[in-house]
Formats: sequence, C-alpha cells, structure tokens
Amino acid sequence: MSQTTLVDVQGLYKEFPIHGGLLDQLTFENGRLTRKRESVKAISGVDLQVMQGESLCVVGESGCGKSTLARVIMGLIRPTQGEISYQQKRIDVLSGGALLPYRRKMQMIFQNPYASLNPRMTVQQTLEEPIRFHNPDLTNAEVKDTVVSVTQSVGVDPTWSNRYPHEFSGGQRQRISIARALAVDPEFIVADEPISALDVSIQAQVLNLLVDAQEQRGLTYLFITHDLAVVEHFGSRVAVMYLGTLCELAPTRKLFSAPRHPYTQALLSAIPRLNRDSTDYIKLKGEVPTPVNLPSGCVFHSRCIHTNERCRREAPEIKSYDDVSIACHAVEESRI
Amino acid sequence: MSLLEVNNLEVRFAMRKEELVALRDVSFRLEKGERLGIVGESGAGKSVAAFSILNLISKPGYISGGEILFEGKDLTRLSLQEMSAIRGNRISMIFQDPMMTLNPVLTIGTQMTEALHAHHDISREEARQRAIDGLAEVHIPSAATRFDQYPHELSGGMRQRVVIAIALITKPPLIIADEPTTALDVTIQAEIMHLLMELCNNTGVGLILITHDLGIISQMTERAIVMYAGRIVEEGDTRDIINDARHPYTDGLMGALPQKTTPGQRLNQIKGGMPPLNGIPDGCAFNPRCPLAGDICRSTFPEYTTIGTTRVACHMAGAGDP
Repeated sequence: MSQTTLVDVQGLYKEFPIHGGLLDQLTFENGRLTRKRESVKAISGVDLQVMQGESLCVVGESGCGKSTLARVIMGLIRPTQGEISYQQKRIDVLSGGALLPYRRKMQMIFQNPYASLNPRMTVQQTLEEPIRFHNPDLTNAEVKDTVVSVTQSVGVDPTWSNRYPHEFSGGQRQRISIARALAVDPEFIVADEPISALDVSIQAQVLNLLVDAQEQRGLTYLFITHDLAVVEHFGSRVAVMYLGTLCELAPTRKLFSAPRHPYTQALLSAIPRLNRDSTDYIKLKGEVPTPVNLPSGCVFHSRCIHTNERCRREAPEIKSYDDVSIACHAVEESRI
Repeated sequence: MSLLEVNNLEVRFAMRKEELVALRDVSFRLEKGERLGIVGESGAGKSVAAFSILNLISKPGYISGGEILFEGKDLTRLSLQEMSAIRGNRISMIFQDPMMTLNPVLTIGTQMTEALHAHHDISREEARQRAIDGLAEVHIPSAATRFDQYPHELSGGMRQRVVIAIALITKPPLIIADEPTTALDVTIQAEIMHLLMELCNNTGVGLILITHDLGIISQMTERAIVMYAGRIVEEGDTRDIINDARHPYTDGLMGALPQKTTPGQRLNQIKGGMPPLNGIPDGCAFNPRCPLAGDICRSTFPEYTTIGTTRVACHMAGAGDP
C-alpha cells in the first residue's frame, strides 16, 4: 500500500440545529427574555486521513456520527467547521461547478438498495445517467458499451438492463447500485453500511464483489459499518467513533488482537462469537449521552471504568503510539 | 411429555391464483427450560413457524396440517377464547422492534399490568407491585418511576427490557423471541442477550430464539434448527451444527461468515438467492445453489437422515462429508 494521503479531514465539526424559528428560541429565564439555540453535535473534532488504495472502516453505534462523516466527506452536507482535502486540494469550500470533477472521482454506495434506486427508472437508465452527465462527449454506442461492461463486472446479466429495480432481489439491487458507483470510473468510494440490509449469504457475495473491484480498479474505500465482524475481514485500518469523536484508529489486526481504548474493548467484547461464552463481555454502565449536551471532558467518561478527575475535566487529544492513534487519558498515562 | 411438540406442521397462504406452502413438514420438540434457536435467511419461514405456534398467522395464511402440542394440548384445535388464555400467559412473545411493540400512548405500567389483569384475578395494588418487581428483575433502575413513564422516555435497550419484563410477568413456561436484538446496537444486544440468558437460568423458562445471526445462536442456545425455503434442513445440538455442519446450506452459511474466514481471504459465497415461495425447485429446494447437487437432488425430495445428534434433509449428507 502506498502512503500517499488521498482524503484528508482536519478538525471536522458538524452541528445540526434543532431549534425552531425565532419565537421557539425565546424563553423566560429569571424574569428575562433569553434566546436559546440548541443543536445536535453530530461530529465534534475529527481528524482522519484516508490513504491511497486502502479500505478504511469507520465503526460505531447508532448516533456516533459515522454516516454524517461519510456525507460531509462526500460534500452532500457542508461541515460547520474544519477542512476536507482531496489530493491536497481543499474541496469543502468549492461551489457546485468547481466540485464536479471531484464528484466523478468520489462515489457513494448507500445502505438500502430498495431506497437508493429510483423505482421508475430501468437499470439501463439508472446506469446511463451518471455516465452521460460526467462524460457529455461520449456517443450513444460508447455509453451503452460502458453500461454493458459495468453490469458484467458486478455479475448482473446485461440483458436484464431494461428491467426495473423491483424485479431484482436485494443482493442484485445492491450490485446495481455498486455498478452505478463504478460506472464513472471513480478513485474513491464511500460505502455507507452497504451490506446491512442483506442476508448473510448475500453479504458474502457483495463483500467479495467490493474486494474484487478494489483489486481490479485500484479503488480506495471508506467503509462505514456497525458490523465489527465484517470490519475484521474487510478493512486495512479501522476508526472507532463514539459520540462524534474518534476514539481509536489502528490497523485492523492490531485493533482486533489488542484493542486499547476502553470503548473499543467493550465494543469488541460484545460481538456474538461462534464457540465463545457470552459471559466475558465488558458491560458498559449507563447509556450513550445525548449529542445535544455533550459531557464535559472525555465524552466516554460517564461509562468508562478507568475514569479519573482529569477525564471528567479535560477532553483527550488523539495521540499516536506507533501506528495506532488513541484518544484516552488512561492510555496516555499508562494506567491501562 | 415435552413442553412443546410440533409435528408435521404445514402452513399455506391461499393466494388468488395458487396456494403457496410457506412451511412444510416442520417437526421439533422443546423440553422444559430448554433453549432452542431457529436460524435462516429472510423468507426461510422462521417467523411463520413462530407465529403459527401462537396461532397468529393471519389471512390469507392458515395452518393446513400437523399439530402443535403444548403441555399436551393441540393448539391448532383450540377455540379463539382458549387460545387467548394461552397467549401472553403460558406462551409469551418478544418481537423485533420494541418501538413497534409498545403502545406509545399508554404508560409502561398500564401495559405491564394489562397482561396480569387479563389472565389473573388480581388487585390493582398487587398488579402494580408485581410489575415494579418485574422491571427490577430486568435491571431497570428506579423501577417505580419508570412504571409511570411512556415508552418514548426510554432508550431502545430499556424498551426491549420492558418488553422482556412484560413477557415474563405472567411467569410463562415458554417465551418465543423473534429477532429480539436486530434493531439494537451491538453493546446493547450483548446486554439483552446476557439478561435473557440469566432469566432463563433463574426462572427455568423455555426459549425459542429466532435470529439470522449464527453467533447469537452459538452463544444462547443448546439446540438449533436451520430453515431453508419453509423447511427444516438441519436440526441438532448447537455445538455440532456450528462445528460440524452436515447440510451444505448450513456449511455455506458458516463459510459466508467473516469471522470464520482468515482476514483477507475471499468469503465462501453461496451462489444465487433464496427461491420465492411460488418457485421452489423440484427435489431438494437447495439444489440450484448447492455445490454438491447431483441428479437425485434435482428429482427426489430429500427425507431426513440422522447422523449423530443431528437430523438433516440432504441426499449427500450420509455419503461422505459435505
């Protein structure tokens, strides 16, 4: 794997306002009219580099900001603060037209193939649309050839391309949405839970397809998932997120053999394993705090067994230990 | 006498043009306090099997054959009223999504005591006390406060705990859990499974656990059933099924699991997908996807053979290792 950075995310913050209009924001406090604005802090300070040719997996539980991260990187939503660069060129500030060449290089695969394919477009139309949009000079015949080759490459019979999405099974639909992403010959693919909606035997087919496509086309993946077993198989590096922050970033094998952040340890112990007793999992106390009012200090401190005064007061910075990056005071102070 | 004995159960759906057989020749038994897992992919019929035990199959579906003996009574022959006395009282069910199961406009307490009042002649005060005890039993902190709260005030994991508490409140001998943790995060899933296990051990309740996750089956159950296209293809001790699968479908499912494969290697994939109910192939339903399929698999319906502790429906299972 080469060590050039393809996508560089620096100091990313994303907040979603949840207050209503001006009148909703006004409240009486101590006899005075005050204006209160609330927001969901989906991502609070994430630094992340995606290397050329790797499969970086982002894992975490619902509400940890992993899908928001994917969408901000893709430019589907704008960050509140922070920078995103693609091949050393900052892209989060570009306008629609200037972003076009990057849209072709970066493609996305969504979770639910039942929702992400237009039910009123045939497979042919679905696949032709991005090709024509990004390559307006191609002749009709060239476009059709591209569609045929890309459908073949994902294992769908090109003679079926005049059918509508409802005529396909879930696994085939996900193949078609992968074909749509591959049709414009991208370099970087963001896959947001691409196999969560599929059955086990179909998951294996789609995962194998993604691995094959990577080998043939030299793709770079950012793979968002909550399924840790898949990560162990698929990713070259894993980023673990909790409540909008990055806890641990490590090469897959290292993360699974020796997780160091207390949250990663708890998360890994919760995977249902074949041939292992369920008794040795690490039970986290309490529940995930609300992202509207983030806890002070380390966001994980209320559930962590290694918490001390410093964790409650001061947010840990992400620090590198060889090729592993961890944001935890306890690791830094060698308490664990 | 077994707690539950299902013999040759068949469920059909009467469609306009044809009758679809959703469940065929399903037989299994469950002893008191035993934990049984049912695995399969979507469309395998595992939920239909669970629903039919409680006679919850709604039109156009109906039970077209076989018997379901629960504590010696055939549930398929009971009247609506007799069935109501069993549902939620002798057999409880836990469904997938706790937000859909709980009524959003009733308090937790109302929903818990409802089951008690329906089946027992019990005072309001006593029902309240039992409900609060029930909440404490599933480790819900400050149970008395939670009793008066509404479902939206609880998190997903808490809601599923409430659902489990409701299922247990009448102290049934059997609980059927249909994908109880699929809607939950993995750390919460581990907590709920741990809780279910603890409750099973403490109260001696029998459990039928339906899931698509072989890891959960492996951790939670003593015996397991693998279903494919409406039929049991393999049944036996969970250990044997996980470690020494006899049916090529079970074997394929295991191979498709990332945790069974060395990282970086290709996953063993089963080609194709589950057939629709109106297109189940002749002979063995699995033959178009099976790597071992021979002529006999395409022509003859496979009967069960017993190998060790497992019962398997495969022509090839006896002859050598699949």
